[in-house]
Amino acid sequence: MAPPANLLQGTLDLLILKTLTLGEKHGVAIARRIEQVTRGTFVVKPGSLFPALHRMEEAGWLTSSWGESDNNRRARYYQLTRAGRQQLKTETQEWGRISVAIAAALRG
Amino acid sequence: MIWTSRLASLWRNLVHRGRSERDLDDEVRACAAILEDENVARGLPPEEARRQALIEMGGMEQVKEDVRAVRMGARLETVGQDVRYGVRTLARTPGFTTAAVLALALGIGATTAIFSVVDAVLLRPLPYVHPHRLAVVLTRGTGPVAPGNFLDWRRDATSFEAMGAAEAWGTNLGGNDRPERVDGVRLTSDIFPLLGVPPQLGRTFSSEEEQPGHTRVVVLGHRLWQRRFGGDAGVVGRSITLDGEPHVVIGVMPRGFEFPPFWATGAELWAPLPLAERAGSRNGQSLRIFARLAPGATLERARAEMATITGRLESEYPGTNRNVVVRTLDDIVVGDVRSALLVLLGAVAFVLLIACANVAHMLLARAAARRKEVALRAALGASRARVIQQLLTESVVLAAMGGAAGVALAAAVLRVLIAISPGNLPRLETAGLDPRVLAVTVVVSLATGVAFGLVPALQASRFDLSGALHDGERGSTVGAERHRLRRFLMASELALALVLLVGAGLMVRTFVALRRFDPGFDPRRVASAVMSLTGSRSEEPARRLAFYREVLERVRAVPGVASASAINHLPLAGDVWGFPFQVEGRPPAKPGESPSAAFRVVLPGYFQTMGLPLVRGRDFTEDDRLDAPGTIIVNEWLAERFWPGADPIGKRLTLDDLDRNPEWLTVVGVTRNAARGKWAAAPDEEMYLPLLQSHLYLERKGGPFSYLTLVVRTSTDDPAAVAPSLRSAVWSVDGNVAVSEVQTMEEVVARATASPRFYLLLLGSFAAAALALAALGIYGVMSYSVARRRNEIGIRMALGARPADVMQLVMGEAIAVAAAGGAVGLVAAVLMTRLMGGLLYGVAATDPLTFAGVCAILTMVALAATYVPARRAVGVDPLKALRAE
Repeated sequence: MAPPANLLQGTLDLLILKTLTLGEKHGVAIARRIEQVTRGTFVVKPGSLFPALHRMEEAGWLTSSWGESDNNRRARYYQLTRAGRQQLKTETQEWGRISVAIAAALRG
Repeated sequence: MIWTSRLASLWRNLVHRGRSERDLDDEVRACAAILEDENVARGLPPEEARRQALIEMGGMEQVKEDVRAVRMGARLETVGQDVRYGVRTLARTPGFTTAAVLALALGIGATTAIFSVVDAVLLRPLPYVHPHRLAVVLTRGTGPVAPGNFLDWRRDATSFEAMGAAEAWGTNLGGNDRPERVDGVRLTSDIFPLLGVPPQLGRTFSSEEEQPGHTRVVVLGHRLWQRRFGGDAGVVGRSITLDGEPHVVIGVMPRGFEFPPFWATGAELWAPLPLAERAGSRNGQSLRIFARLAPGATLERARAEMATITGRLESEYPGTNRNVVVRTLDDIVVGDVRSALLVLLGAVAFVLLIACANVAHMLLARAAARRKEVALRAALGASRARVIQQLLTESVVLAAMGGAAGVALAAAVLRVLIAISPGNLPRLETAGLDPRVLAVTVVVSLATGVAFGLVPALQASRFDLSGALHDGERGSTVGAERHRLRRFLMASELALALVLLVGAGLMVRTFVALRRFDPGFDPRRVASAVMSLTGSRSEEPARRLAFYREVLERVRAVPGVASASAINHLPLAGDVWGFPFQVEGRPPAKPGESPSAAFRVVLPGYFQTMGLPLVRGRDFTEDDRLDAPGTIIVNEWLAERFWPGADPIGKRLTLDDLDRNPEWLTVVGVTRNAARGKWAAAPDEEMYLPLLQSHLYLERKGGPFSYLTLVVRTSTDDPAAVAPSLRSAVWSVDGNVAVSEVQTMEEVVARATASPRFYLLLLGSFAAAALALAALGIYGVMSYSVARRRNEIGIRMALGARPADVMQLVMGEAIAVAAAGGAVGLVAAVLMTRLMGGLLYGVAATDPLTFAGVCAILTMVALAATYVPARRAVGVDPLKALRAE
């Protein structure tokens, strides 16, 4: 496994928002899902994950509530708000623009 | 939506901190537990599963700390830490903290007190609906208006949606055993709706109640209602006795309602003003006109319209509609005191600035001592911004402590201010430390903290690590720059103090000039009391003169009374009525252009009693009766103006339309010019008529003609001791005569000069405080300078400098800085004292004597404050100083 890449802050937000489009999840599940969809490229440590989740919740993009995990553990579940979906849309477009630009620059 | 969520988070983080902390803790633990579960599921033994989970977490406390750092209000929390740290640091240096808090308390307290006065008097709107739309129509400044003109204006002016008239009215309120003289105002029924303030109880009057013959009704003020009727709601509908006539109380106005806000202030009851009988009068000017601008109308439009209307009326009735002015009510209420209060506010701001400069000095000295601490923090990774934030927080904490002490001081100062105020500051008694004033105090304190803390913080945070850790600041550029800053602060303090001292000095000169002013009469040993006969048996024309004679006889019998007489309007305290007259041998004046003079009516013996000398001719006697030829006494000013160089005795004049008209009155005496309505005003024409020849004062009932002011001269130096017996002398003759304004003439004079005394006291205190603070500042800077130059002084002395040379060196520096500050201060003072013009009397705003005196005082104080540090410099032991190197 290649060493996990550094996560730019904007990237982490984007990945979290995207992950939560599938429905509410608790912190570890979000991290695992990101790891899984990026095929292990991004490993999200709790030390980065939780500050990001709290920041995004305060920005109004997420809401959270207590729930039960699959093996009956109490866990904090996060879900997208309408503003969060809007934010995902904006950030996705932004990301598209940047990746095209970077790719072009690297090809140049 | 986003904002609300942020605010909710902020609220949760700051107010429900405990709960959000618990949630965070639970969440992080739950995460660890889930990771542990995963590890167990992967087949790790339980111990290892937990260990791995904790490693992956990366430290639970660290995670929590990272979350806290991104939360809303995280910044506030570091502020909280800084505040706690600042308080601890300040508590460790109680001497510094006490000195700084005292200086700030002085500045902030004085500023708060003066601001609360300015707020109450100038800034707070008058207690009416949309008060800025209210206007006043008057003649010649604050002069009254005749009924005929008012009725025409009210009919024709469209720029006003309503216009009403008011007339001063004093009345005897019966009911208790002695009648009480109460001030009231008669109003047309338009006034109350125009002000927009509804009564607390009952109603206000209607236009039918203005008609003659209607039941007499009256509306009570809140204070009178409380004082005389115990706040009884049943008073509405009850009948009370005013001037011996029954009046029905129809309403009570709410607390805080005052009308009028200028002239005749202190009115406690209001009655309808019947104008029907005087509708055609264009000469008897007694009304003040209040109006509300129509929606959309501007003051300019109202002025233009009134100019057209009065122009037309003037051509119809010449001499009756000149000099009509429209002013806003705000302007007329506070116009006269505005500049004085702004001067005081400016002065107090100067004191605050000096206090700031002083504390900035102290902080600079402290910053020097704390360089190692700051350097250590920097070495441990604090950013410059973080260090500045911390130092500024400390300054603001200091300012907040100063502000808190200042509020306590302001409360005390305000009580004193209200007690000693001259009585011409409208609504001063409503001044207080209300939330509005306190909000300003908080802002001022915070701004103060930043103002005096910012520069020292910027300086202190500009550390140069290696230098700070092993050297004093000697020779370093930061040190030199800091010292320049201190000298700048010292010079500014001196400049500010100089401006304040010049202001105070000018007030001292004004006050001395006012004390020297000769009122023409001798106010010592004179007491007076106003008798109001309205509604009593003695008001009857057949009894009135007998009553006055009887009262005077009894008063003269009082031990200690040397002489007694009476006058209609006491100078300085009473009204001043102007009355037009014509001089014999001069062509009759056009209507409205007759000369006029103050109209006084006296009993024989007034001039002697008042100590107002007759420079020519004789006093009135008992023989100047109705059946004898008419006589008059004039003042020197009038005689000079109409018969310059000639003997005025035997000359004749006639009053345009007074009783016994047309009749020539022969001048029998000339008096000195006496102070009239205002202390130290330029003299004006004045005439005295004998009461014994006045049909008005002997026969006219009601209103202003059935009252008279009793004047007595005592043979002892304590006229106040005699004053109470005036009351009993009057009541022994007729118990239904009201007696009011029992006072000595010296009290009257003191009141007339109260205003300059008040401003002198305040400016003097501010200047004294400024001088003390500035002296402390100079002392601090020079002590520091000497300490800093110990080595240099040591070397100089080792090389043979004598003590005198060292003194010269140190004092020379101080004198250079003081001279620079003084020069700036002088220029500022010349520019700023012009604003005091209205407060000064008998002295120019650029009075050279005051400026020179202030410079001398300031030089002496600066030298004295420098002398001690200079002596210390002389005492430097060259050996020790060099060894310390």
